[in-house]
Parts: sequence; C-alpha cells; structure tokens
Amino acid sequence: MAHTREILTFQFGTYANYVGAHFWNQQEANFVYDGQGEVDEQGLPNNDILYREGQNDQNQSTYTPRLLSVDLAGTLAHLPLAGELYGDFIQRKRDELDASGDGVESTKKALEANQLSTSGKVEVREEPPTPMSEYQRDLLMGAVNTLDRDYKLAETCRTWADFLYARYHPRTLNVLHQYTSNPDLQALGTHTAGAELWSSSFEEDFCDRIRLYVEECDGLQGFQLLFDIDDGFSGLATKCLEHLNDEYSRASFVVPLHYPRNLSYAQADTRTSHNIRVVNAVLSYNHLSDYATMFTPLSTLESIWRNNTLKSRHMPGLHWQADNLYQTSAVLGSYLDTISLSYRMRQTPETLLRFCDRVGVAGRKLTAAAFALPLDMLDKQDLIECLDQRGGKPLLTQITPQCEPGTAHVVQSVVARGIPVSRLKRPPEQAGEQLRMAAYNCGSISQMLQLYYQCAYHNSLSNVISTVLPIKTQLPFPYELFDKNVNIDGYKLPGEAQRDAGTRVASAPALGALQSSSRLGEHIDALHAQTHRVQLAKLQSYSQAGLEREEYETALEHLLEFRDNYSDSQYL
Amino acid sequence: MASISLLNPKAEFARAAQALSINISAAKGLQDVMRTNLGPKGTVKMLVSGGGDIKITKDGNVLLHEMQIQHPTASMIARASTAQDDSTGDGTTSTVMLIGELLKQADLYLCEGLHPRIMTEGFEKARDKALEVLEAVKVPVEINKKTLTEVANTSLKTKVHPALANLLTSVCVDAVMTISNEKQLPVDLHMVELMEMQHKTDTDTQLVRGLVMDHGARHPDMPKRLEKAYILTANVSLEYEKAEVNSGFFYKTAVEREAFVRAEREFIDQRVKKVIELKRQVCDGTDKTFVLINQKGIDPMSLDALAKEGILALRRAKRRNMERLALACGGTAMNSFDDLQEEHLGYAGVVYEHVLGENKYTFVEDCKNPMSVTILIKGPNKHTITQIKDAIRDGLRAINNTIADKALVPGAGAFEIRAYNELTKYKDTIKGKARLGVQAFADALLVVPKTLAINSGYDAQETIVKLTEEDRLNPELVGLDLSTGEPMKPVDMGVYDNYIVKKQILNSCSIIASNLLLVDEVMRAGMTSLKG
Ligand SMILES: Nc1ncnc2c1ncn2[C@@H]1O[C@H](COP(=O)(O)OP(=O)(O)O)[C@@H](O)[C@H]1O
Ligand SMILES: [Mg+2]
Repeated sequence: MAHTREILTFQFGTYANYVGAHFWNQQEANFVYDGQGEVDEQGLPNNDILYREGQNDQNQSTYTPRLLSVDLAGTLAHLPLAGELYGDFIQRKRDELDASGDGVESTKKALEANQLSTSGKVEVREEPPTPMSEYQRDLLMGAVNTLDRDYKLAETCRTWADFLYARYHPRTLNVLHQYTSNPDLQALGTHTAGAELWSSSFEEDFCDRIRLYVEECDGLQGFQLLFDIDDGFSGLATKCLEHLNDEYSRASFVVPLHYPRNLSYAQADTRTSHNIRVVNAVLSYNHLSDYATMFTPLSTLESIWRNNTLKSRHMPGLHWQADNLYQTSAVLGSYLDTISLSYRMRQTPETLLRFCDRVGVAGRKLTAAAFALPLDMLDKQDLIECLDQRGGKPLLTQITPQCEPGTAHVVQSVVARGIPVSRLKRPPEQAGEQLRMAAYNCGSISQMLQLYYQCAYHNSLSNVISTVLPIKTQLPFPYELFDKNVNIDGYKLPGEAQRDAGTRVASAPALGALQSSSRLGEHIDALHAQTHRVQLAKLQSYSQAGLEREEYETALEHLLEFRDNYSDSQYL
Repeated sequence: MASISLLNPKAEFARAAQALSINISAAKGLQDVMRTNLGPKGTVKMLVSGGGDIKITKDGNVLLHEMQIQHPTASMIARASTAQDDSTGDGTTSTVMLIGELLKQADLYLCEGLHPRIMTEGFEKARDKALEVLEAVKVPVEINKKTLTEVANTSLKTKVHPALANLLTSVCVDAVMTISNEKQLPVDLHMVELMEMQHKTDTDTQLVRGLVMDHGARHPDMPKRLEKAYILTANVSLEYEKAEVNSGFFYKTAVEREAFVRAEREFIDQRVKKVIELKRQVCDGTDKTFVLINQKGIDPMSLDALAKEGILALRRAKRRNMERLALACGGTAMNSFDDLQEEHLGYAGVVYEHVLGENKYTFVEDCKNPMSVTILIKGPNKHTITQIKDAIRDGLRAINNTIADKALVPGAGAFEIRAYNELTKYKDTIKGKARLGVQAFADALLVVPKTLAINSGYDAQETIVKLTEEDRLNPELVGLDLSTGEPMKPVDMGVYDNYIVKKQILNSCSIIASNLLLVDEVMRAGMTSLKG
C-alpha cells in the first residue's frame, strides 16, 4: 500500500517568505497536468508530498502547499490573512477595475442581522486599502503578460506578496501583530526575543495549526524549515523545531537564510548590529546542531559577518543587484526547488531522512549548498562535451556563505534538471570524437554526472539524480537576471552572439548540490572568530531580552564541540 | 540614563514638562477612541484592514492592540489593559478611560503649578479610601444559578445584542454548573472547550456535554456513528515511522534494513492487536462499540486493521483533549498498551462524525457525569465566530470570578457614584495640597457613569447631579437606568460587576496614572519597554 510521504514546510521571517514565494511559484510553474506533453511520468516530482488537496466553502477543489508561514505585520500587503481561496475577507475596492460591490457595507449589514452588536448598529473603521502590485492585479484579472510586459518587480516590489503566484491555505499565514515591518530596522531583533515570543503568546495557536496539518498526513516524513537567522525569527524557528522534535520526531531539513543586506537593530550602531548578528548565529547554531537533522545556511553573499562591502557571489550567466530581496531570493528559491527534488521524485524511494543522513554524516549536520543557474552549457552542445571541455573550472557556485567545500573528500547529493536526454551525447553514427570519451558509455544524465564527479573530485562520494524539468524563468521569476548571451532556453550562445532583443529566457537547465567536507569547519571558525569581539554586556537589546551570559557561553562551547565533527580524522 | 542626568536642570525640567503634556494628550487620545465602547449601549466596531481582513470587537483591549500603538505612553496604558484582561477578563475599557481621566483631572491642577508628586500622593490616599468603599458596598452572594446568570448576563449584554446575550448566558452558566459539580469552587476553564464550526447558513451556539474534536476518522470504512461506545484515549504511536528516525544509519545492507522494517512493523502490529483484543473482550456479544482517540499518529495499515474490527479511530488529538476526554468520559489516558484493562476505558452514549467542506468534526456525547464540556459555536464566517467566542470567554470569566469572590458589586456606575461622594467627604479630612489629588481622583471616577450616560444619549452633567444626589439620600447604591436616564437600584435590576474587576481597576489605574505623571520615571520605563 503506497501512501504519500508528506512533508510540511515552515517559513519564518520576511526573507524566508521571499525565498518561499519563489519556491512555491517555481513548484506551480512546473506542475504537469494529466495528459500534458509526453514527459515520462516517472521523471516528475510527486506534488502531493508538499501539497494538499482541499475544498473551499464554495465546494471548489483547492491544491495548496502544506505550509506555515510567519512574518511581521505589514508584509502581507494586499493579501488577507486567510488567503484568497476560502473567503473570510472583504475584497477591497482598489480602483475602477474592481467590479465587486461594496463588501464592507454588506458585511456590516450581515453582522447587524446576526445580533453581533449590542445596540444593533456596527461602527466601521476602515484602513485604506493596501495597493495591489500591478502584477497581482493582472493576475486577478487573468491578464498577466509574461512575454513583453515589464512589471519592474525588482524596483517596485515591496514585499513577497507582490509577486506571489501560488495561493495559500487559510491555515498558512501567521502575522506577528506586535511587530511591524520596517525596511530600515529589525522589528524583532534578537534570537532571545523570538524565543521568548514563542513561549509567551505564539505557541498555542501555532502548534494547533501544525497538528491539523500533521493529522492529515498518512506518512509524514518530516519538515523543511526556512528561517531568517539574522533576526528574532531565528528564536521563533528554533523553538518551533524543538517542538517538532518533541511531538513528532521526524527528519528536519533546516535552511537558515541571511539577508543580503546589513540591517540595523534598535539601539545599535553598525558595530553593535554586527555583533547582534553574530550572537543570533551562535545561539541558532547551538540549537540546530542539536535539533536539526541537517542544516544548510544560504545566502547570495560571499560572507556574512562584518561584510561591510556586501560582496556578492557571482554565477556565470547571471547577474543580480546584491541587495535586492526579490532577485536574490529567486536564486535561493530556485536552488531549494532543485535540491529538494532529491526527496520529491515519483520514482526515487529516497526519504527526507535519507537525504539528510547521506550528506550530513557523522554529526556533520551543517552542510553547504552550491548551485549553477543556468548550467553553463553552450547552445547545441551536448552534456558530454560540456563536461569534457570544462577542465578544472568548477560547475557550481557556492551559496552557503564563508564556505568552500573543495574538490576532495566531499560527500554530496547532486540534482541536475532541464537537460533533455537528447542533449546527453550524439547517436553513434554522428558521435565522432565523443566515442573516444569514457563518458560515452553513460546512458543517462545522472550516470554521466556521476562519472564526471568521480573523475573531478578526489576521493569523494556523489549521488546524482536528474529530471527533465528545467527551472521556469518566466514571470514572476526575475527573468532579467540572465546575461544577454543566454538564449531563451537557458543555454549560452557561442562567441559574441546575443539572444534577440525583446525575448526573455523562459526556462533554464540547472545543477544543484548539497555538500559536506571537513572544510566546512572553516565556516564555523569564521563565526567563532567574530565572537571574540562581542561584548555581551554592550548588546542592550540582548540584555533587555533576558539573555544570560551563561547561556551564551554554553552555546559558544557547544559550537566548538560541534566544530570537532569536522576535524579531518573523523570522516573520509 | 546618563545622558539625561547630564542635562542642565532647566533643560531637564522643560523636558519633563513636555513629556508630561505628551503623556496627557496620549492618554486623552486613547480615551476618545475607547469612549464609545463602554457599557451595553456602547457600539461594536468592525475593523477592516488594508488587505480586507475583518475583525469585530467592542473590547477595549482588543481595539488597543489592533491599533498597533507605537507611542510608549499609549503602549504602557495598553499593557495595563492587557494585564487587566489577563487577570480578570473584564474591565479593559474602564481601565483605559479611567487612566485618561485621572491624567486629565490632574492636568487641571498641574497647570496651576501643583507638583506631580503631591498629586500622586493624593491619588494614593484616594485609592485606599476607594478600596475601603468597595469593601463596604460589595454584596455577598450565594452561588446559585440566579446569581451566576445575572452576572454573566450583565457582562454579555455589554458585548452582543441582548437576544444573543441571553442565549450565551445560559450556555455559559450551564457549562460551568455542569463541571463544577455542586462544588462552590471556581472551575478550570480549560475544561470548557470552545469549538468553532464555520457553516454558511447556521448561526448558533450550544453546549455539548462532552467533547467535540476538529478531526475525524481517516479511513473510509470506519463507522460514522457509534452508540454505547467505550472510549480508549491514548498517547501511543501506531505508525512505524518513528523507528526509522531512531534507527538512523545503522543497517548495512538492504536485507538488513528490510528485516528491521519488518520487525518494526511487527512491533506496531502488536500494539494494534492489543487494542483489538480489548475491544473483542468488552464488546463481543454485547451491543457496545469501541472508539480509539490517540494523541500520536496512526498509519494507514493500522487504521485498516482497526476499521476491519469496526473500531472508530482518531489520530493526532489535541494534547489538552486527552485530559478533557478523561474528565468527560471517565477512563485513563494510556501511555502504553502493555497492561490494557477494561477499567482504563471511558464511556460515551454516542460518538458521531460531522463533515463540513474539508473539515471533519467528531462529537463525543451523552457522557455520564462530564467534568469537561464543549461550547460549540457555529457562524457563517471567522469574524462572527471570533466575536462570539470572545464574548463567551468574558461570560465564563465573569462567572468564575463570582464563584471565587462570593461577592458582587452593583454596576451601572453605582460604585463610582458612591465612591465619589465618599471621597468628596474624605477630602476635607486631608491636610495640605494632597487633598487636591483626592478631589481629582473622585472626579475622575465619574467618567464611568458619565460615559454610560453619553453612550445612551443622556446629558452627562444632568445625570451626575441626579445620581450623586440620589446616592446621598439612599443607603443603598444607585446606578443609571440606561433606558430612562433616571437613577435606579442595580441590585433590583440584577446589574452586577465582579468585585475583583473593580478592585483591580482601582489599583492598576492609580499606579499607571501616577507613573505617567512622574514622567521622569516614565522615561525610564519607556526605555526599558523598547524591547526588540
Ligand atoms: N445594564 C446595564 N446598565 C447600566 N450599566 C451597565 C449595564 N451593564 C453593564 N453596565 C456597566 O458597563 C460597564 C462595563 O462596560 P464594558 O463595555 O463591559 O466595559 P469594560 O471593558 O470596562 O468591562 C460597567 O461599569 C457596568 O457596570
Ligand atoms: Mg466588561
């Protein structure tokens, strides 16, 4: 009896919700409906792992992510808290385009008729409607033009709700009413304040929502948990993780996310702000090394702590504004969509737990991410040539900050996507040179990559899977990220050639990897080095939130013990 | 703080004066927002957010929090109101009104040069006196249906329409009486579950003498309705998933792994068998049936086995429902099936499932002597349900407070009028300028009857004159009849407030108002309150 092996996803914090929005948009862009195309069913993901079927109050079927999201007040923009699928909100009249009648008036009448008012009368207090992004408005009207309309999302996007294509279940969204989002200041700044918030008012309702999701599951395998590690959401998230372990004891793949900006904190100058980030990370890692099955910090920045110049990573074929939330989160969201295919495919029996255990071996729960979008492959080139001609040039760019796993003694899971089998190699009669390469014997994309890594990486373990589904890069994805020499299918044009002006990249092949090696210890060293400059007593917001010196020092010690898992003698 | 004390004294004084006026205007501002909320004639507000979310409330505390106050003075008042709500469940609007009024009254004297310190001294004296008055006028009550109904009804009529208030009153009173079981002690309100059910056409609230759960069976062949049911409540995993996590990486070959999985499956199957054995033992040959309610998971294979036996099984029950179930149906919540006995089982006359859209509900009813009950709230949408739920919470708290206090205080402004008269007399016995503080306190108390009058469309001054006069002539307390604008005896009309609520208001308002007057302390409080 095969039943779905469900996974529940969490998004704690604003950037986590940006990344999540791209993740779910990507999922839905890649939905393949029955009888659509000739794709081999087995090569597709099983969407039921991350999605649930439901029915709204109009008896319409719904298909929504198994997702719990938490963010600050003000981040939902036009979105009602209960989402848009199940009613329970008033469609605000934003401009002449809204044909809907006056929902406020009719709601008021209904309330009065239902005896909800002492006097029989209800007094209305309306906030002005939050403007809808142009993209959302067109989406509502069924008029989105992905081919040549420019919504300028990178410049105009105020929050992830502005570009969210996916629709959420009423259970999904949670807002911290006491903390209003402020682009210049962390509203909920410290790990300790977040942890405190969890226990004081948040836990009860939230845990009930978790329970309702889990009750629906026949074979829950675990959790994906994304959270902002630079602010108080880290405390909320680690508390949640603790609860998940106590109550459900399932695998958890945790993704701490770093803002691509240096945010400031209440009562803190630049230096103090840096220190708060450092302490947030120390306290988070302390918990994650205990409670997470595996955790993989992500950022488009090269380094996090005291990175005053905000130096960004660079991916061949792609360019982004280093501090743009919408663009950078698209890169990270695509990565997660890619790597999570490891445990979402229809045919692979790989569970989330196996996925975590495979790379996070021997207590090395901290793992690193690497990504190539697009996969650096020439138009008309076959994979076999692409790999053959690379020489020592790495295929992937690291997107875990302060971390270079190297090319020796690496354990990794690799997902290749969007490379059609026809691009593997030429048939024998046309193969020519290819016939002489050892890789010519490989019958599949994954086999060939497996072989490539065997040769390119010394003494390493790689597990490669592949799917035909590319990354879909049409709106609301920031299609503008691609260099001019990338063609509409995401392949590089030879020489100086450029894709036609006015055309946009619609999809792209990609390669994602999750890696571990003893060199990841350097990431922890980098963090630890920063702690020398932290004077806890000087961090007002931390002392006010009630962090005890002892707790912090225990966390630091714990961090060093955790570091030991990466000393060379331990593995490979 | 260092930076402030380094300022020259003149500047500091200017700063303090400025801060004081900011405090006073902030408090007045809040008072203006809250004013129309007070009392049974106060208006209910429908708040519509920029995204179209709806919230209905008449509760001062809820409103304060929806307003997302950033001003430190205002948030201090908001915290007082929250504290009031947490500790007593009522009196939040009065709290905000009274703090605002205390500052307003004080301002009149401070403008003329009175030092805030002296004002707060007077406040302290006045508060102690007012508490004495409160002690003197409280009415000791017997805990019976009539008393509880009166107090719950007064409270609920300040929340919803009278017709709905009457219905909710009897639901609340019945709920508490059912589980209090003749004991004259406050009940654990956690044992009254509030369950909501969104239903397009139905608005109704009812008491279920048992439990309603927000989930149902997850197997198509399980019975939808059972009578004379044994109830087994448990916290035992019936899925083999957990084992996989613990086993980690240890098996070396696929065969080994298979064997391990089979062993684990066997282990879970044994547990299911234990349940089935007990079911057979107690049900076979009788007309009894069997229900399993588990806090842990139940996987499809286990569900299948249970369904074949005609057992209704629920998984992932709320932790708190384990306790409630034991109290509603009897029996013991089991943490293991090793020694499963008939005596561990609870009993319910009927258990049935109700499906609404994608939601399922399971009713466990007809319990012999339920020590835990459920109030089921049906409404067409979330905001309606939430408003009713809030009202019910207030009603339950009012009842429980009464049982704890064994006393009530005549409402409709009666206590405030009496306290005003007494304080005015008392003032003359005070030496020095502190008496001005006592007078300010007395005047401030009148904000309650004044506002009640205004909200019903009567003239505030005229009302106060009538009431204070009538009060002087009568040993019994007089309050305002909102339907006539004339004095009346709240005791005759059954208009009562909770003693603890009034007491708490007097205490917290005088403290907060004093803190706000002594701004320099407020600044400090304001600083430390900027958590984040
Ligand atoms: N039937 C009534 N007639 C006159 N006054 C009433 C009546 N019912 C309640 N009140 C008064 O209304 C006030 C409580 O109003 P309410 O809206 O509940 O505000 P709060 O949040 O302060 O409890 C109390 O002073 C109470 O005595
Ligand atoms: Mg009240």
